[in-house]
Amino acid sequence: MSFLLTQIDGLGRHLTRNLEYTLHVLLMFYLSMRATIVDRTQSFRTLLGVVSSQIYFTGWQALPLISVLALGAGGIVILQSSTNLNLLGGTEMIGKLLVIIIVRELGPLMTALVVIARSGTAVASEVGNMRANREIEALESMGINPLSYIVFPRVLGGVVSVVSLAAYFTLISILGGYLLTRMLHNLPFGFYVDSLARAVAVGDLGLFLLKNTFSGIIIFTVSCHQGLSVGRSPTEVPVATTQAVVKAIIYVVVFNFSVTALFYLNELRKLGVLG
Amino acid sequence: MSQLHRLRVDAIRFESLSFGFENNARIFTGATFDFPLDRVVWIKGESGAGRSTLLQLLAGLLAPEQGAYLLNGENISEMSFEEFLPYRLNIGYGFDMGGVLHNKTLEENLTLPLLYHKVLPANEAAQRALIYMEDLGIAKYRHARPAVVPGGVRKLVCLIRALIMHPQVLLLDDPSVGLGQETALKFFDLVDELRQQGELRHVFLSSFDDKLMSVVNPSVVAIDNGLLHHHQPDGEKKEVAA
Repeated sequence: MSFLLTQIDGLGRHLTRNLEYTLHVLLMFYLSMRATIVDRTQSFRTLLGVVSSQIYFTGWQALPLISVLALGAGGIVILQSSTNLNLLGGTEMIGKLLVIIIVRELGPLMTALVVIARSGTAVASEVGNMRANREIEALESMGINPLSYIVFPRVLGGVVSVVSLAAYFTLISILGGYLLTRMLHNLPFGFYVDSLARAVAVGDLGLFLLKNTFSGIIIFTVSCHQGLSVGRSPTEVPVATTQAVVKAIIYVVVFNFSVTALFYLNELRKLGVLG
Repeated sequence: MSQLHRLRVDAIRFESLSFGFENNARIFTGATFDFPLDRVVWIKGESGAGRSTLLQLLAGLLAPEQGAYLLNGENISEMSFEEFLPYRLNIGYGFDMGGVLHNKTLEENLTLPLLYHKVLPANEAAQRALIYMEDLGIAKYRHARPAVVPGGVRKLVCLIRALIMHPQVLLLDDPSVGLGQETALKFFDLVDELRQQGELRHVFLSSFDDKLMSVVNPSVVAIDNGLLHHHQPDGEKKEVAA
């Protein structure tokens, strides 16, 4: 009995700790937004400077990696779906299947994972090193709020980058993947495009924007939070960076799964399957 | 350039202030103290007594756990970042180590507060930075990043940045560490110049450099077992507060 109670106690502590961490991250996001938008101590030009650098590092520099992944993933999905649908006699479903797999699921998730690996780590270690070198304190002493100068521009630039990269991933997956599979499989282009056009709905665009916007917010807020949690020692930086990756992946996966689950529950409700 | 809202500092007081770091001994326990103003004040104390902590509390970089830190009778512990900003813009802080922004050149480090708060246009800000850098003999490094310059140059940039806004209060944590005696004296000439011009009024510094302090001839505030004592330059103990 006491073993069971210890287990329950441990689980409770774990949940409380995670809930507390989540609230801290949300609070930091709110405060950074407030410091930038409501308090307006920072000029638009300063904000734009940091946001554009973030878009350059996170978005522009990730294009080659995203291109390779998108071509590979798109090619595999198109090849597998068209072959199997052909066997089952449902080739006209290819557009629907691609929208479900690439636009709704794979695009947002793969983009988020690439951004976490490339830029989440970079932001966490950059901010962590700034903490260890007392640069964050220096900004405060100059009357510059780190939440509006460091955190918010990175989150904003990150969101723009994630949404743009996911759109680019989707485009390359669908068009590049098609061209790649042309070498192995004969699927008429007109038929392919027509199938896709019939499959895409406004809801897909909403789901795409929702997932990618929040993934961007999650990745960069968690990374900044982990970086700012570093104390005076540089040895804390790699620990904070690893934690940023782990936590960002967990939050992004849980968020994507929850949105997908709610989306399909709503679809089922519309179809009358659920009351 | 926009008119910057800065508040004058006419009284600095700790009221029953307590502070300590996690897992460390208490540094201040209920300290009540009126800081001497309009002079150079040397914060003295053994290593670990809390000299840097005191300066960070005065700069608003640390918040007291209990009690109040009052500027002109206003409790700054209860203020938000933005509410404290008009005071903060009148307080310059020089770090003992670190504190230089590594992704900016030395000139950009110096002009950042001037440009961020729109105190001066870019060319005038760069001019002000250049004058100070020339005075201290580091102008040739102005376009270099901190990682590629000697430690003493980084330290000087940090000290100049504390002055660049022409604050009313200057807080210097071990200003002579990493500097030669001659360079440290040149910097204090600059501090004297600003004090004579009347913009800079209250200077608080911590240092183990007795030789330099004998030249500066400051008043002394000593930290001893979490208590603050004020001595006049002649050495007479003036005030004791717990």
